[in-house]
Amino acid sequence: MNKHRTTVVAVILVTGLGWSGALAQTQDTDIKALLQRIEELEQKVKVMDRNRELTEESAAEKAKATPSVTIGSGGFAVSSADSNFVIRVRGGLQADGRFFGGESVANDSFYLRRVRPILEGTVFGRFDYRMMADLASGVTQTSANNGSIVDAYLNARLSPEFQIQAGKFKEPVGLERQQSWRNLLFVERGFPTQLVPNRDTGLMVHGGFWENALNYQVGVFNGTADGGSSDFDANDGDKDVAARLFAHPFKKSSVEALRGLGLGVAGTIGDHKGTPRTYVSDGAQRFFIYLTGTGTQPNVVNDGQTWRVTPQAYYYWGPFGVVGEYVVSSQKLRQAGGGAGAGSKAELQNTAWQVEASYFLTGENNAFEVVSPRKPFNPATGGWGAWELAARVGELDVDDNAFPIFANPAQSATKAFVWGVGLNWHLNRNVKVQLDYEQTDFTGGNANPALAEPEHLVLTRVQFAF
Amino acid sequence: MKQRTLFEIVVLVMAVAAGAVGPRACAKEVKLLNVSYDPTRELYVEFNHAFARHWKEKSGDTVTIQQSHGGSSKQARSVIDGLPGDVVTLALAHDVDAIAERSKLLPADWQKRLPHNSSPYTSTIVFLVRKGNPKGIKDWDDLVKPGVKLIPANPKTSGAARWAYLAAWGYALKKNGNDEAKAKEFVTKFYKNVPVWDTGARGATTTFIQREIGDVLVGWENEAYLALKEFGADKYEIITPSISILAEPTVALVDKVAKKNGNETVAKAYLDYLYSDEGQDIAGKNYYRPRSATALAKYAKQFSQVELFTIDELFGGWQKAQKTHFNDGGVFDQIQQANR
Repeated sequence: MNKHRTTVVAVILVTGLGWSGALAQTQDTDIKALLQRIEELEQKVKVMDRNRELTEESAAEKAKATPSVTIGSGGFAVSSADSNFVIRVRGGLQADGRFFGGESVANDSFYLRRVRPILEGTVFGRFDYRMMADLASGVTQTSANNGSIVDAYLNARLSPEFQIQAGKFKEPVGLERQQSWRNLLFVERGFPTQLVPNRDTGLMVHGGFWENALNYQVGVFNGTADGGSSDFDANDGDKDVAARLFAHPFKKSSVEALRGLGLGVAGTIGDHKGTPRTYVSDGAQRFFIYLTGTGTQPNVVNDGQTWRVTPQAYYYWGPFGVVGEYVVSSQKLRQAGGGAGAGSKAELQNTAWQVEASYFLTGENNAFEVVSPRKPFNPATGGWGAWELAARVGELDVDDNAFPIFANPAQSATKAFVWGVGLNWHLNRNVKVQLDYEQTDFTGGNANPALAEPEHLVLTRVQFAF
Repeated sequence: MKQRTLFEIVVLVMAVAAGAVGPRACAKEVKLLNVSYDPTRELYVEFNHAFARHWKEKSGDTVTIQQSHGGSSKQARSVIDGLPGDVVTLALAHDVDAIAERSKLLPADWQKRLPHNSSPYTSTIVFLVRKGNPKGIKDWDDLVKPGVKLIPANPKTSGAARWAYLAAWGYALKKNGNDEAKAKEFVTKFYKNVPVWDTGARGATTTFIQREIGDVLVGWENEAYLALKEFGADKYEIITPSISILAEPTVALVDKVAKKNGNETVAKAYLDYLYSDEGQDIAGKNYYRPRSATALAKYAKQFSQVELFTIDELFGGWQKAQKTHFNDGGVFDQIQQANR
């Protein structure tokens, strides 16, 4: 019995040990197979990851070589992959209204102040071009369409310090004139702008040093009358030289309050023939005109050197900004017609100045350029755009020696003084609504019904620009 | 008087222009762009320093050499598309031929202008495997076995990959009595084992070493030695096959670009210096096989003995090899199609 039992136990033990050995061997094989399987799967995952990585790299490479098309607040642009070729479509319109208070003889009116399609871009990396037309009736009291080419030029960016620009563009003189039409603080530019050239055709060398801490512009132009533009010099063969130097002396300063200071000086010089321009109020009422006529009537023309000098400055700090400029415009005139003073000559110096200030109630950083509202208008998200308060004061003073030989003291004012306040609502970078109240007081010209009392003017503007 | 004033203004503007532009032409600081292929980064970093020092001593000018790297064919395409390389140092002559042919930036006979067909150093194709050689790789035949994962780059974009393709083809030809069909069958099996297609040799190295993919990196000898040096001989082994190809990377002056940049003289000197004692020594130090007997002897120990055939011997030169194998619709495309 014991022998049988021993035998059975022995068999069980031997069998058990055998099973256990076989089991251990089987488990070892399974583990090896599993490890191999895991390794294979791991490789597959790594291959998939790497292929995805390579696909992304390839897509990024392709994107670098693919021209880009963008549309946004800056307009519509198509650019080659390397940005060497760019074409951009921009534009804007200003739908204005002007409303006179008191006993004004001027008509209230809605009108299109500017309607400007713009085509601009770059070719071969360093040659920029710009063409801008204006299809609006403008400020003149006429229903005619005064469509014109406003800008048409090519600029060669040879280096940041040395660029050459040719065509028709703003002469580098007046400060407010340098400011884009879409960024104006008030609906109309101030008096100093009337004494400096607008657009002119010519050639300009310009550039900036130390990341534009100092900018210079020097150019040769046809030469225009005060506030005028020129496509072609029909009056004389003489040319004007215009130059401007503008500095941001504290641009890199650690004192934030100083960084926004810009100051400079500009001027023009050249011989002019032709007809001197009239001066108008912000309501487009003519308050000064040189005598003009035919036959035996007096007729005033430019007859010799015209020069202008304009010191200018601006300062921006946080939501606050102030811009100021002063202009002296000197021109030699001759009474070329008949009547009193025929043949008389004089050198007259008209002056103008302006200071305008603004403050963003909504806290945006004020700037000479376009300002982006912190919260663009969208009532659903609580965005109400940027709100800006503005104030200005300025004066245009005509040389007293203009009277009576060159201008009629009964019909023309010798001085106009303006003050105004404004409220600007920047709904977003592209849409702006402006409301101004301005009062202009005239000295002289008492027989002119337009100048008999101060001009009380409300100007409105709805602007879309991109 | 009026005309005189205008004349004076024009003269003034021209003088200002000359003043602004002029000093650049006289500058004593020279910038050179070397458009190269993927694995030459380390070689040219060292060589550029040496050349800059040499040029400063010789001319007094300070030369700064900028490098651009990528798959050789891709780099050639970039030069054709406008990348302003004063010199190109590419993996294969055909890529330089393509620049000469399509952009006319250098003459068609550019290869005759420098010694050794404008190839200052050579290399070959070897195998890099993981330590212990777990797949038992010894020669080309082991690469076409099922389950062996190969990491070459894409011959469509990479010079190294093209050399590797031709090395495999050449091995199969020699083994099979120049039987083209058997060579094609062999190379088809070879590419069936490729799981990832990198565009350049450096990318393939990244795949094999950093992403830990594959069993064998098939590529430049110099790149394999560099991997050992950088990532550790305890992790990888170099397997030199019984037969491989003599890879002759070429260098060339991009005449029109160098001339336009005013760099013709310094660019020529830069390439000449590759053949100097120092240039050859730097090539050897960076695991390229130098052309000069002295430098080759100095670094002979670091290179394994291998039977090398040339592209001219087995393929009739680059033009023919390119047309037959790598052009669109060529043998490589057919192989890819078959493996899909």
